[in-house]
Amino acid sequence: MSERLVIVDGIRTPFCKMGTSLATLGADELGRVAVNALLLRTGLDPALVDEVIFGCVAQPVDAANVSRVIALRAGIPQSVPAMTVHRNCASGFEAFTTAYERMNAGRGSIFIVGGAESMSQVPLLFKQSAANKFAGLQRAKSILQKLGAFGAFRPGDFAPRIGLKLGLTDPVSGLNMGQTAEVLAREFAISRGEQDAFALRSHQRAVAAREKLAEEITPVYVRGKAITEDNGPRANQSIEALADLRPFFDRKFGTVTAGNSSQITDGAVALLVMTEKRAAELGFTPLGRLAGYAYSGCDPKRMGLGPAFAVAKTERLPGLSIQQADIIEINEAFAAQVIAVESLMKSDNFAQSMGLAHPIGEIPQEKLNVNGGSIALGHPVGATGARLILTGLKELQRRNGKLAMLSLCVGGGQGAVVWLERGG
Amino acid sequence: MPNIRRATNKDNICVLTFDREGSSANIFDKRTLLELEGHIDAIRNEKPRGLVITSAKDSIFIAGADLNTLAGLRDEELKSYIELGQSIFNSIAELKMPTVAAIHGACLGGGYEICLACDYRIATDDRSTKIGLPEVNLGILPAWGGSSRLPRLIGIPGALDVILAGRILPAIPALKRGMIDLIAPREYLMQAALKHAGGHKPRRFASRILYSAPVNKVVALALRKYVTIKTLERTHGHYPAVEEAMDVILRGSGELSIARSLLLEAEAVTRLAKTPVSKNLIRLFFFQEGARKLSYPGVQKLPPRKIVRAAVIGAGVMGASIAQWLSARGIRVILKDIDAARVAAGMDRIMQLFASAYKRHTFTFVEARDGVDRISPTPVDVPMKNVEIIVEAAVEKMDLKKKVFARLDEQAPADAILATNTSALSITEIAAATKNPERVVGIHFFNPVHKMQLVEVVVGKQTKPDVAQRAIRFVQQIGKLPVVVQDSPGFLVNRILLPYLVEAAALFEAGAPTEVLDDAMLDFGMPMGPMRLIDEVGVDIAADVAMTLAGTFKDRLKMSEVLPKMIEAGLLGRKSGAGFYTYKSKEPRVNPQAAKFCNETSAAGFNPGELQRRMVLLMVNEAARCLEEKIVMKAGDVDFGMVMGTGFAPFRGGPLAYADAETPAKIVEDMKTLVLAAGPQYEPCTLLAEMAVTGRKFYEEDEPGKTDPDASSTKTTLP
Repeated sequence: MSERLVIVDGIRTPFCKMGTSLATLGADELGRVAVNALLLRTGLDPALVDEVIFGCVAQPVDAANVSRVIALRAGIPQSVPAMTVHRNCASGFEAFTTAYERMNAGRGSIFIVGGAESMSQVPLLFKQSAANKFAGLQRAKSILQKLGAFGAFRPGDFAPRIGLKLGLTDPVSGLNMGQTAEVLAREFAISRGEQDAFALRSHQRAVAAREKLAEEITPVYVRGKAITEDNGPRANQSIEALADLRPFFDRKFGTVTAGNSSQITDGAVALLVMTEKRAAELGFTPLGRLAGYAYSGCDPKRMGLGPAFAVAKTERLPGLSIQQADIIEINEAFAAQVIAVESLMKSDNFAQSMGLAHPIGEIPQEKLNVNGGSIALGHPVGATGARLILTGLKELQRRNGKLAMLSLCVGGGQGAVVWLERGG
Repeated sequence: MPNIRRATNKDNICVLTFDREGSSANIFDKRTLLELEGHIDAIRNEKPRGLVITSAKDSIFIAGADLNTLAGLRDEELKSYIELGQSIFNSIAELKMPTVAAIHGACLGGGYEICLACDYRIATDDRSTKIGLPEVNLGILPAWGGSSRLPRLIGIPGALDVILAGRILPAIPALKRGMIDLIAPREYLMQAALKHAGGHKPRRFASRILYSAPVNKVVALALRKYVTIKTLERTHGHYPAVEEAMDVILRGSGELSIARSLLLEAEAVTRLAKTPVSKNLIRLFFFQEGARKLSYPGVQKLPPRKIVRAAVIGAGVMGASIAQWLSARGIRVILKDIDAARVAAGMDRIMQLFASAYKRHTFTFVEARDGVDRISPTPVDVPMKNVEIIVEAAVEKMDLKKKVFARLDEQAPADAILATNTSALSITEIAAATKNPERVVGIHFFNPVHKMQLVEVVVGKQTKPDVAQRAIRFVQQIGKLPVVVQDSPGFLVNRILLPYLVEAAALFEAGAPTEVLDDAMLDFGMPMGPMRLIDEVGVDIAADVAMTLAGTFKDRLKMSEVLPKMIEAGLLGRKSGAGFYTYKSKEPRVNPQAAKFCNETSAAGFNPGELQRRMVLLMVNEAARCLEEKIVMKAGDVDFGMVMGTGFAPFRGGPLAYADAETPAKIVEDMKTLVLAAGPQYEPCTLLAEMAVTGRKFYEEDEPGKTDPDASSTKTTLP
């Protein structure tokens, strides 16, 4: 690592469940609010930014290259380029590590990175058969041709394809994300009770951390109201209520429910990152710095195991072992999936297959997802990676800790890990 | 100096290009008219295939007739000047070849009337392109054929709407109304104009029948009664130009020969130009032009530097409205208040202002969205190191403002201006809370910000002249009209307005009914009666400002007990749903509940004229006092401020012009009578008393825009 990347500051919108407070705002608007607040609180001259890189999974059809839209609307000068990245649930990480790679390629020293996602605004789609018929209608010139083209439509053509559902389905394995979690629950013999207990803890921790989380949130102003809090965490969540839910993905034998899965959520996160040198020149005291990262592939059917594969890669780097980490995040796509990752990290067989001398190790529960995770806070897919970085750094500061390990599973069979050190 | 170029191209199309030497604007003065006459004569002889009339200026086609010329002419001269224009435009209309006006930039008054004399009107879609006949706003009417040709082109109803309101329209609505024939991008304007000029005369079958004289005659007959009523409703009979214009359009458009209609125009304009109304309106127009170019006296020319980043402190009604206005003018604004709920309310107001601007087609959707995007709201302290100006619009409490300014002084970059929007508190005192009082200045907007053009630039005791100058530039940059005021209680506008409102409340307390008081002042020409105004401002706020002023002007500002009692009863005006009126129904109704605070009957029998006289005299007196105390530099500042800041009857020219019209002697005489009858607040100020004796006036006769230099320096000659 020739250039060291430091995180100067970060801010996010509240995370709000799909169809609630932020539902009327597109990903571009959410991202704009976050970037604007970031510029405002850091006082950074926006002309100094070398590039804006945002992650977004369901990229809005009316804001292609949403990162560019975010940048311009947030007041970044036109001369500053912007790109959008997509690595599914790790898109927020990808934006961050892309900036690092750019720096080391000599392509700039100050970046605004982050993620923005409006899962409320993922559109409904027409079937291809209907699209073909619409095209036919447009080509039709004479009245007779037009009538013929109209006649070709069948009621079934108008049944929408749900974009969100398509996005959360892996086309290679044919499984949707919830079904991949069911695979892990079966194979790792993770009971419903275990999953629900994990989910309950996520809510309890997130509710307890409300004040801490408020530090990383900028209000969003919607129709005269200030939206200032995440609305996912439920203070009154009980284990009984969780147990009452029906399995969602496998109605008969399944154990994965809406309650022990991450919530579908809208939100955006923005981080200001730069080379250590630039931060010093501009007089910023960084929150922390990037210590290492890895992306890794795995079986798309078992995409939830991704973090274990990614962490196995960084195990070989000096100083990056979970025993030394003060904070550990395994993103809670599904309770079953996090628990499966934990087992795999302890497994000798897995260590062997990855060529490691020892298993990665046991994860201490008091260090894991300490302020709750996506089950409580929600998982705006493109933004979550950036939130883990922000939440992790702030918590590291509070605990006066040194090292944080942040990881995500990625739809399509990947894992991602980012290691951060506190301070510059 | 030539004003017009003539060139004929290879296709034998003649192009007349207006390009006034040494100016960025084209106007019609006598020389230009004569020059044009020469060119038209030549064209008549040369018989080119077509004619294009255009302008070489960046943002102006032709801005209209030269008002200085107009204002300086006596009766006979004026008549011949009008007839000269009419005859030249007639000869354009009678040319045998196709004639095209290629319009880019402001095309107003005479500028549009020459276009009406052409066969085709093609305009660019540029923002600077504005088309209209604003003459009635100057107390006259379009008299170079505008009042005759427009109804023949777009019909009587359309022409009435444009001319009687003095409308100025962008290209798209002008096209929709039929005032122009085609819109072209600027780059293709000449191409389109040359093409039409190379074609044939337009037929316009439909409009030639629909808007022919006989049809117009019938339409005019049918409309006259309705239009007369509507016009009177709007003018209260105070604006003869509107009525004359209406009459000329209704009668003239029915004349078979346009010459007879033109004669009506010429007669009407000669009558109107003589009226004090027109003189007052033209004078106000000059004041506006003056405000656009205003500089702070004695300041070296500053390099023109536009402000691009600002902060507004306070997201209440004023703060949010100011932030919205700045952002609408392209400035990036930090909007700060103390909690998220207040910021949210402010952002909501801003979004609604932009939404309604979008609905009115002032902004496109993208422009409105960008306007919202340029505002960075924050409920917490943020760095201010990039802002060039900070406008504070927090709650009107001196302690709080001092705290805010002490903090801003630390936060803002050394060369940033610290401005306060206070409407009553002392700038000098606020400035004392900072380490750099010389950079503190008052920039006082009026409510509603997006409608009121006036901004008081208030100079504190320690304000540095170049800070005042930068504040003036800033106000001009955002399209408002500055008036420079020295720091003193109530500054200019509120100081004059408040004694009037307090007196209205006192008269109410003494038995004068709300609606009688309001009607009396509406009749005078105010846009809103005093009781309604108190309700709009807020009873509590009016009382608060009155108290502040009463602290200084003890002898002449006696607070009536009505306002505190109403505040106690929760009747705060429109914002609380009820004050002197109730606002539950669509139209405000007099609030019977307020009547219980009226505890005498001494004023119950006053006729409206008497009430009006009392209220107006207090304004006049305070206005004169502002001049006497050198709160402003000249009489024009007072009148300009009152008309632009309160809507003081524009046709009367302002309180001091009104005093001139009445004569100071008469004013003083009436006031002296009232001292005995009504109280010491009617004691005429020294300046008025002195002028009553010498017979001097605030303005020199017949010289619009110029004030008597002696009138403002009277004080120095008096003991």
